[in-house]
Amino acid sequence: MLINQLSVFIENKKGHLSKITKVLKDAQVDIRAISIFDSAEFGILRIVVDKPELGAEALKKAGHVVKQSYVLAIDPSDKVGSLHDVFALLSDNDVNIEYVYSFVMPNNQGAPLIILKADDQEKAIALLTASDFSLIPKEAIYNVQKG
Amino acid sequence: MKIWSDKEKMSRDEIRKLQFKRLKKTLHHVYENVPYYHEKFKAAGVKPVDIRTLEDLRLLPLTTKEDLRKNYPFGLFAVPKNKIVRYHASSGTTGKPTVVGYTKNDMKVWREVIARIVTMGGVTNEDTAQITFGFGLFTGAFGLQQGLEKVGAGVIPMSAGNTQKQIMIMQDFQSTVLIGTPSYALHLAEAAQEMGIDPKEELFLKYGLFGGEGSTEEMRAKLNEAWGIVATENYGMSELIGPGVSGECLAFKGMHINEDHFIAEIIDPNTLEVLPEGSVGELVITPITKEGLPLIRYRTKDITRLDTTPCDCGRTSVRMAKITGRTDDMLIIGGVNVFPSQIEGVLLGIKGIGSNYQIRVLKKGYLDRIEIDVEVVNQDLLVSVTLLDQLYKEIESKLHTILGIHAGIHLVEPKSLVRSEGKAKRVIDLRSENQ
Repeated sequence: MLINQLSVFIENKKGHLSKITKVLKDAQVDIRAISIFDSAEFGILRIVVDKPELGAEALKKAGHVVKQSYVLAIDPSDKVGSLHDVFALLSDNDVNIEYVYSFVMPNNQGAPLIILKADDQEKAIALLTASDFSLIPKEAIYNVQKG
Repeated sequence: MKIWSDKEKMSRDEIRKLQFKRLKKTLHHVYENVPYYHEKFKAAGVKPVDIRTLEDLRLLPLTTKEDLRKNYPFGLFAVPKNKIVRYHASSGTTGKPTVVGYTKNDMKVWREVIARIVTMGGVTNEDTAQITFGFGLFTGAFGLQQGLEKVGAGVIPMSAGNTQKQIMIMQDFQSTVLIGTPSYALHLAEAAQEMGIDPKEELFLKYGLFGGEGSTEEMRAKLNEAWGIVATENYGMSELIGPGVSGECLAFKGMHINEDHFIAEIIDPNTLEVLPEGSVGELVITPITKEGLPLIRYRTKDITRLDTTPCDCGRTSVRMAKITGRTDDMLIIGGVNVFPSQIEGVLLGIKGIGSNYQIRVLKKGYLDRIEIDVEVVNQDLLVSVTLLDQLYKEIESKLHTILGIHAGIHLVEPKSLVRSEGKAKRVIDLRSENQ
């Protein structure tokens, strides 16, 4: 259930994002989801890609600091209040959300999905599964059927 | 213009006789009371009795800051601790400062040499002097305060920083003399203008006595223009006494050394040989009236030259030219002396950063400033921005508490620092470029 996410240190400077996307492009790595968490001078770029090992390797080779970590991908279903239900479920059960960002996949009718990092990932998976929230398996993220 | 002491007008012959007499006394004092010097002299095969002329001084071994560090804190003191009435210190590597101590008589000498210097700079008992050096372990503020009071001037011990209040007090107390670093003085002038106060029309300053960091003729012109003052420079360092070693008179022909208290030599920093008068080289000073911490032939690492030709002011003492550089890589930031190696020491002691960093020395307005780029190499910091922020704050606060400097910290991507032949260029001095 856990998705391999790459975190990359990035300076808040012109051109630095495209430096990173260039490395991934050259390595034929496709980006599925992307987000930046930043302060005034620097930030952490978080990406989910189709070939995480290859992407991480390419970025490291290009001199970037890369951390691989695991996150959850959830389909909260596209209706009013569904995202709230996810957060309330975790919060009520004392699971803390470290960060969250959204993305879409073409084979999901364009409905918004979320990437979520919880302090207790195992517990989060158990809670979400028990409550019938749809967790997206990593294969579905890595091997998107396009078209 | 008044000359504070007749000692400043002695003939060259009288000065040399007095220096020799006091040197002999000092040599016996350290030989008998400082075991480290006793051994050092022995190793060099020289005893105080071997010094028969002033020129024989060059037979004695030199002293460096390293000798002080090795003997931290009081190893080079020549009197028991109960004779010390004042301590000062400058910043040092890994948090260990260079410690200096003064006896009652040392304090008397210090007041005297400062009284002479402030008189040289135009100060009289009619003046009100605002001191913008920090009061604390550094010698600048206390040194000037005591000498100014001896002259009879009124002292406003403002200490460093608090720029807007400095201007308010300066206006309300009608300060006539500004004491501080030249860079801070220029910063203050700009701040006054930003507050809508014309320094020349609405303030009362007449003289500025500047020290703690080097200055140029262009800097003097800017200071004079910005404040409508007559700016002079003075020189000293805590190891020797603090401020008070030398100061400029209003003839502006160099800084008069208080030669009845200090013997100056110029050496070649590579061969360590004494150079003839007029040569440019490293200044070596031997205090000859100190009791607490009498150092012999102390290497200042400052580059200058000496001149004994008569000065228009009537003083006969030798003058040293403005410092034109250093023989080591010491930086002077806002009056605080700091070596790149000290910054390195602090950075290496912090977990989560690489050994790769770059120190840039810049001018921000008129203030010298250090910017440090630190490469982020530890992937575990990428868990959250908070962790990166904590690292940033830790570096900033350690540099301040250990070295007393404020530096701009930038976390940068690995390998983004300029390298020459595989080796990082660690210190880049950009001050002259954007001045």
